[in-house]
Order: sequence, then C-alpha cells, then structure tokens
Amino acid sequence: MNYEWNFAALARFRGLFLQALGTTISLSIAVIITGMALGLLLTMIRRSSIPVLPWVAVGFIEVVRAVPPLVLLVWIYYCMPILLGFGLSNYHTTVLSLSLYSAAFYSEIFRAGAQSIDRGLVEAGLSVGMNRVHILGRIVGPLAFQRVLPPFVSQCILVIKNTSLGGYIAVQDLLYQGQRVTNEIFRPLEVLTTVALIYIALIVPLSVFANIHEKAYRKRYGL
Amino acid sequence: MTPQLPVLAIKGLRKNFGDLQVLGGIDLTVERGEVVGLIGASGSGKSTLLRCINRLETPSDGAIFLGGEMVGGLGPNLSRRLRDQRRQMAMVFQNFNLWPHRTALENVIEGPVVVQKVPRNTAIARGRAMLRKVGLADREAYYPSQLSGGQQQRVAIARALALEPTLLLFDEPTSALDPELVGEVLRVMTDLAAEGRTMIVVTHEMAFAHEVCTKVVYLENGLVRDAGPPGHIFSTANTATAQFLARYLGQKTSDTPGMTL
Ligand SMILES: Nc1ncnc2c1ncn2[C@@H]1O[C@H](COP(=O)(O)OP(=O)(O)OP(=O)(O)O)[C@@H](O)[C@H]1O
Ligand SMILES: [Mg+2]
Repeated sequence: MNYEWNFAALARFRGLFLQALGTTISLSIAVIITGMALGLLLTMIRRSSIPVLPWVAVGFIEVVRAVPPLVLLVWIYYCMPILLGFGLSNYHTTVLSLSLYSAAFYSEIFRAGAQSIDRGLVEAGLSVGMNRVHILGRIVGPLAFQRVLPPFVSQCILVIKNTSLGGYIAVQDLLYQGQRVTNEIFRPLEVLTTVALIYIALIVPLSVFANIHEKAYRKRYGL
Repeated sequence: MTPQLPVLAIKGLRKNFGDLQVLGGIDLTVERGEVVGLIGASGSGKSTLLRCINRLETPSDGAIFLGGEMVGGLGPNLSRRLRDQRRQMAMVFQNFNLWPHRTALENVIEGPVVVQKVPRNTAIARGRAMLRKVGLADREAYYPSQLSGGQQQRVAIARALALEPTLLLFDEPTSALDPELVGEVLRVMTDLAAEGRTMIVVTHEMAFAHEVCTKVVYLENGLVRDAGPPGHIFSTANTATAQFLARYLGQKTSDTPGMTL
C-alpha cells in the first residue's frame, strides 16, 4: 500500500473538468425535464378513458423498463437513422434515449402519487366548481408531488448518474473526459476519485434537500 | 332566479350501480328557507341521493332542477354550467375533505378565487367573515392537521358558505366526530338554519332533525317512504318511521351525544 497519490497532475485539466461538469449538468437537466414531461403525458394517457391508448402506454412502459438503459441508448443511436431516415447529434440522442427511459419510471412515480390522493379531496374540488385542470394543478398535482418526492428525487439521481452512459457515444461528459485524461497522464485512480467526488458533490445536496423538504411538509401538513 | 320557483326540484330520480338499484324514483321539492332532514337506515341511499343532486354521481334516470334550471341539462357550455350549479349547491362532507396543503383561510378562499375569479383581497375579506361566522376567526392560518375534527368541519362549512350557495348539502356532517365535538358543529348549522338558509342535511342526529329541520324525509330502500314536518315524522302514531326510529334509538340510547341547542 505505498501508492503515491498525485492529484496535482490533474490541475492543468481543471478547465476540461469544468466543461465536462457543464455537459453532465445540462444533460441531466434536459433529461429530467423531458423525462418528467413524457412521464406526465404517459400517466395522463394511462388514466384517460380513450380506448386502446392506455394499453399502448402500459406496453411502452413495460418494454422500456425491461431494457438496460445502455442498450436503449446504443440501439437508438444505430437504429434511428435506419428506421426514420435521420439521426440526432450524439448529445441529443443521449437526451432522447435517457428521457424515454426515465419517463417510464417517472410515470410510475406520478401514477402512484395520483393514486395516493384521497378521492374526497377531488370531490371537494368538484363541489366548489373546479374543472379538471384546477383539480390537477391545485390539488392532486401538489399533494401527489409532495408524497412522491423521495422516489422522485431518487429517480433524478439515477438520471444524473445515467448521463455517464452518453460517453459510449462520445458525449463529452465527466466520465468520458475523465477517461481521456487518464489516457493522457496514466493516473486512473486520481481521475476516477475526482470524477466520483464531483458526482457526490452534485448528488448529496439533492438528497439532503429532499430529506429536509419531506420532513418539513410532513410536519406542516400532518400527512 | 325567480322567487316563486322551488330552490330544488327532484323528479323521478333513479340510480343504479350495475344491477343494484339504489334510488328507485325519488320526487322531492325543496323551497327557499327549508331545512330538509334526510333520515333512513344505513344503505338506504341517502348519500347517493345527495351525490346525485350535485352530480358527483350521474343519475340513471330522472331530472333535477336547481332554481328551475335542469342540473347537467343539455345545451351549450354544459360542463361550465354544471360547475356553476355545483358551486351553488355547496357540499359539506362527512370526512370534511379539507385540502391538507392549504390553511383554513386558503381552503375557504380557494373556490371564490379559482372558480369565481373573485379578486384575492375581496375573497380574503369574505373568507375571514365566514370563518368568524363559524367561530374560527383565530384559526385562519392553521393547517387542517392542526385543527380538531369539529374545527375542521366548521372550516368546511365556511368553505361552503364562501361560495355564496343557494343550497347547502350536508352528508352526515357530525358522524366522523368525537361525541364531545358534535355540538359545536350542530350549533353552527342551527345558526345557518335560523338565518333562513336552504339546506338538505343527511343526519343520524334525531334531535337536530326534530328541532331544526322544517321537513324530514324518511328514505327506505331508495324510496321516500314518508315526508313531512318533524312533528309528523316523529309522532309515535306514525308507523312508517316508528320501527326505524325504535330500532335506531334502541341502538343508540347509551351513546347519543347530548345536543345542546
Ligand atoms: N359507487 C358505488 N358503487 C356501487 N355501489 C354503491 C356505490 N355507492 C353506493 N353504493 C351502494 O348503494 C347503497 C346506498 O349507499 P349510500 O351510501 O347512498 O347509503 P346511505 O344511506 O348513505 O348509508 P349510510 O347511512 O351508511 O351512509 C349501498 O348499498 C351501497 O353499497
Ligand atoms: Mg351515507
């Protein structure tokens, strides 16, 4: 155990790491927003009374959940140009595939949240004359969201970590750039440690925030 | 609204859940200022009747008129009109159904602000007046979880009043309450009756039905078995309700909460 750690060797790549961090963050935000929007859409389709469509949504969710995210990413990367005749940039392919992937999970989370809301609270909304949009936006939405905040934040954390898959198709995120630095200075331990610390710095505050928020609203609303 | 029309008129109302007939053709008229008590055994269809009136359930047959206008009737703007009619028949639920993420005052002004588009300041003034009316002026900033059951139900009543309804619907408003909290809610309801509000109250509180209601309707197996002033319904000579009341009061003699009006 006399490995000589040398983090100083990484100092000259500071700019590169910062850029890579920016890519990881922007990927994460794009995937979380798109995934949430798609997940909400899937939930609404599943709860709608339109014929057939709910089954399509369920089928989509089951399929996507059964496929490893890397397989989905690489599959879309190679197959989309063949099937649709056009492709996206590597960055946008990553956003698309991870969004589809996380949408299945967000949808399950939102559905569980909506189901946990007492029907009487919806009826109270109807009885004061609210329409569906009011009820979703002012009663079911906020209450369900608070109830599912912990699994929701967990899913967001998974999204952040999954963005590292983009490296497989040369998206210059933290892990990808870390590997390039490793190839240059042959210090994989220092580089991976640094990359891990950056992920931790990104994710731990999220968890902490979720915990604090959850305790606060539970106490306040007595849920 | 034309004054000579009844506030509510129900004609031939039927409701089935699948093969189960719950309401078998109800006719009922409620005049302005009437306080109608709805009594009957568990499962006789009291809640279903109330829920059909404001369309939380869709009737299988028959028609309901609110101030001469058909509830959920055909015509343009169907759903908007139905929402406004629901607002005019404000409902108070057995389990209060206050929104847990809103304070007492926020619960009360939600309908006026969101549905009626009343300016927020006006709604707050109105909401405070309603909370004062139910004796909770000092609790406006409390969340439902911080209030007792009786206080929650009084907030729910204030929420209903803030909608400026023409008719108030109560579905067993005191059934979920601890006995010592029943009185405070019944007192508020008695005050409302004294103001001349039109109300339909599903209740197991026979003292309330007797003393406050102007008309009592006895429901049996989804049909109006008897209806009339309380003196008629509760007279011992009345065989239609006597059995029900005997059975009912027999069960409850030990734990009937004292109602002090
Ligand atoms: N959504 C529903 N689906 C199927 N059956 C229902 C539904 N709602 C009510 N029922 C049935 O209709 C009948 C009447 O129910 P309702 O709730 O109107 O009775 P109630 O007079 O209010 O009784 P309680 O005094 O217990 O509240 C019951 O047999 C009940 O099981
Ligand atoms: Mg009932």
